[in-house]
Amino acid sequence: MEKQEKIKILYVDDEINNLTGFKASFRMSYNIMIAVNATDALEHLNSHPDIRVIFCDQRMPGKTGVQFFEEIRSRYPKPIRILLTGYTDIDSVIDSINLGNIFRYVKKPWNDGDILAAINEANKFYVSNSLLAVKNEELQRAYNELDKFSYSVTHDMRGPLLSILGAIEAAQDVDDISEIRKMLKLMKNSVLNLDDFIQSIHDYYNLNRGELEIKQIDFKELVDEQTRIFNFTYLVSDVRFKTTISQREVFRGDELSIKLILNNLLSNAFKYQRKENKTKFVDLNILVENGLAVIRVEDNGVGIAENYLGDIFNMFFRASSQEVGSGFGLYNVKAAVTKLNGKITVDSVVNKGTTFKVTIQNK
Amino acid sequence: MSAPFPHFIIVDDSQLDCFIAEKIIQNAGSYSSVKSYMEATEAYEAIKKSVPGPADAMTIIVLDIQMPVMNGFQFVDAFEQLPADIRSNYAIFLFSSSINENDKNRLGNYPSIRRFYGKPISKDTVAQMIETL
Repeated sequence: MEKQEKIKILYVDDEINNLTGFKASFRMSYNIMIAVNATDALEHLNSHPDIRVIFCDQRMPGKTGVQFFEEIRSRYPKPIRILLTGYTDIDSVIDSINLGNIFRYVKKPWNDGDILAAINEANKFYVSNSLLAVKNEELQRAYNELDKFSYSVTHDMRGPLLSILGAIEAAQDVDDISEIRKMLKLMKNSVLNLDDFIQSIHDYYNLNRGELEIKQIDFKELVDEQTRIFNFTYLVSDVRFKTTISQREVFRGDELSIKLILNNLLSNAFKYQRKENKTKFVDLNILVENGLAVIRVEDNGVGIAENYLGDIFNMFFRASSQEVGSGFGLYNVKAAVTKLNGKITVDSVVNKGTTFKVTIQNK
Repeated sequence: MSAPFPHFIIVDDSQLDCFIAEKIIQNAGSYSSVKSYMEATEAYEAIKKSVPGPADAMTIIVLDIQMPVMNGFQFVDAFEQLPADIRSNYAIFLFSSSINENDKNRLGNYPSIRRFYGKPISKDTVAQMIETL
């Protein structure tokens, strides 16, 4: 069984004998801290933010336990507060419990069973409270992201649609068939752009919600598939596409994520070429050995300005309007790499080219 | 004597949107010239260098919000730093397929933005823009 750290418990009492007795009884099962007054107690609370339960004696010189708990409650809301008290103080204790300053009380003189039961209950309460806090935070974050996401998505989906609508309106007044053809070509691009965007959202969803499906990866097969996909592109735009694959061992990984990485990096490499360049190229190099797969995608295209390099993996970021793009591709690549516990680096010089290097581990 | 027709500058990263705006403006008929820029930086440089004559017509800028590199708001930020005698020849109209609360609130901070319009641009929009000059 995994060794768990002992639960931290603070006991505040002005009587040294009580403190040592308490510590002696429970130190085997818990990490017990003791304090003879409020000042010492605060010191413990400051240096140990993970104290889960505080026991405090009600009758102490200068300050009652109820007062002490009232004071620390707002600054240290997380530890569960338990009061130790005799029956004579019961009225003030009832008030305090009702005000929420105290979780429960244990009557004095205490026996081990009462204390253990109190710790157990308090710990359960602490754990569910902190779980709730963590979940709440996660939920809030997810909610904020969804807000941003849905705005951007609606904008990016409506954009191409409204463009097409505008084109239809404008076409009503155009009689020249060659003008109409030109418009149809631009409309087609808008449709492709929208389709591309929807595909990216699908990828995004798969990456964020889908489970990894680890299986044997044949990189040659994957690259052949990509070559078929981009065949048309590099023939038309006259880009030399070279692939070098040396897979020296069996590699296991999530095929969907690896495909997504390859597809997006290659798509960018083909897309962001310099039109005037006579010797355009895209080089894909994959080396699988020593439990690692290293994928390099190199091009001699437009490159990325240095001041944008830090932003290219951000959602919806686009460093250029040269080509249509959703600002989703590299974000998805990064998410896929992260999901595979891998690493991605980029080297780029404007008008010289860009090299992406992805390293992922064999599972 | 009526004022000469205005010039139009379209700033939009979508080639189709530029094309549509050009067509709509040309079909509406009331224009002296139409020019499109797919990069806001290029439009800004052109405006910065412009030396309008005293009797020259106003220029209407049809400006998209969401663009890479320099977006609509960044363009207006830069524009508002230009000398007043250049700025006074231009009227900026903001266009977008959608606008969030944040962007809506920002509109008030820019005196040089005349109005916000939802896309797509139409004949009526063009007429309205000319009307405000």
